Amino acid sequence: MTASEHILVEGLSKTFPHRGQPLEALRGLDLRVGWGEFVSVIGPSGCGKSTLLRIVGGLLEPTAGRVRIGGRAPRDAQKAKDIGLVFQDPSLLPWRTVLGNVRLPLEVNHTDSHRPRFQPRELLELVGLSAFADYHPHQLSGGMQQRVAIARALVFEPSLLLMDEPFGALDEITRSTMRYELLRIWQSTRSDRPKTVLFVTHSIAEAIALSDRVAVLTPRPGHVRAVIDIDLPRPRDESLERSTEFLDYAQQLRNLLKEAPQ
Amino acid sequence: MTDFPLREPWEPTPLAPPRWNGALRAIAGYVLPPAAALAIGLTFWEVWTRARDISILLVPPPSRVIDRFLDRPGFFLGEGMTTLYEALLGLALGATVAIAAAVLMAHSRLAERALFPLAILVKVTPVVAVAPLLVIWFGFGLWPKVCVAALISFFPFLVNAITGFRSVNPGAMEFVRSLRASPLQVFLKLRVPSALPYLFAALKVSLPLSLIGAVVAEWFSGDKGLGLVIFTANYRLDTPTLFAAIAVLAVTGVALNTATSLVERRVLFWHEAFREQD
Repeated sequence: MTASEHILVEGLSKTFPHRGQPLEALRGLDLRVGWGEFVSVIGPSGCGKSTLLRIVGGLLEPTAGRVRIGGRAPRDAQKAKDIGLVFQDPSLLPWRTVLGNVRLPLEVNHTDSHRPRFQPRELLELVGLSAFADYHPHQLSGGMQQRVAIARALVFEPSLLLMDEPFGALDEITRSTMRYELLRIWQSTRSDRPKTVLFVTHSIAEAIALSDRVAVLTPRPGHVRAVIDIDLPRPRDESLERSTEFLDYAQQLRNLLKEAPQ
Repeated sequence: MTDFPLREPWEPTPLAPPRWNGALRAIAGYVLPPAAALAIGLTFWEVWTRARDISILLVPPPSRVIDRFLDRPGFFLGEGMTTLYEALLGLALGATVAIAAAVLMAHSRLAERALFPLAILVKVTPVVAVAPLLVIWFGFGLWPKVCVAALISFFPFLVNAITGFRSVNPGAMEFVRSLRASPLQVFLKLRVPSALPYLFAALKVSLPLSLIGAVVAEWFSGDKGLGLVIFTANYRLDTPTLFAAIAVLAVTGVALNTATSLVERRVLFWHEAFREQD
């Protein structure tokens, strides 16, 4: 754990075989994310944002390039339970209770060597669902299901959280509430060991409100067009979105995205 | 920690399903209408056979059939238990073999390509044609009936189990894989629960089929059972006994089907088809 960056991505390329016509999703992507940083990746649809996240998470192998998570290969970081994943679809198991879903990772990896500091019930309290531990996913709203998915991702206390448009399927109002919920959760788990978050989104407001830095990707084949530092004070709340600085950042990002020929 | 909304004000609060009230309403809603329809049908049948003086050898009135049953209820129920036992044993055997084969085929396309055509061969071969052969092999005891019931229940379980084991939510699969779950864990924690709705569908198809299988096998090699009762009653032109035996089979089928639906509702409470409606 001596690497200076938490995530190091160098010259990353990924080509999918696609019926004789290979699909080039990423080409020569470079990205560095520091320890405890909140970085959003934003870009037009189909620019390979999710592919990048899956490679960083060790779910996909790159075609070329190098990815290091705290100096280790993604698969090794995954093996060490140092990566938490949240997808757009909460993908909860419908036959399990909320608590059962959060416990699932512990059941799959029942090693005595790893003693989680947060018990599943405490994690539910953290995401504000302690009263719903015995409910089943279909009894919860979309936003609540996504909270369960976040709690599930935190079970092993990973130092890195990878989120792929986690609020993409939610309605606008729930979505903006969840934004600051996530910041609250992130802040309350960061007191002792700051968690790094890599957050894929196509919402400009979401990216600014959450992030320390925003990486803007080009259209496919995706690479990083620009990285914008978001110098807004924390803790942040919804009033931030009406500030002039926020609107300036939004304009800046919109211009960067517009440059992308569609 | 709870100074933020747990649940937006416009979201409904999930209620516990009203138990006793619900049971009463279920009886009123689902049991009474078909019972009334059946009663009306039987009344017409009774009136018709008496008014037209239809021969009891052709169509006995329901009252005569009920009389025949009440003459020897122990006999009919005993024979019925025999047939039911054969059918359920065959169903269990067929389902076990089918599910084991489906596990193999769901994991290996090669195994599926090799074995599935054989399964279709079993399915398209009329079970009535095979029954005499089974009598030659297994004699007149329990086993030819169990085998026919097993053969006939095999295919619905096979097809549904293959689809079921494969119908896992891709997101859940990706998540469980990211946890580096073993294939056994993926199977037990993901594939089996995902397959349950399909297995219940198979059970609902195969239960009546297994009864058919047992009865048909009893025609060929009956030493007891309702199939034999029907066969001998037919031979003797004892139509009321024939009808009584058919009625016992029908009631058995309905009871099995209802029991399956009730268990299914309990087990699959999480499935779209069975969630509590507002």
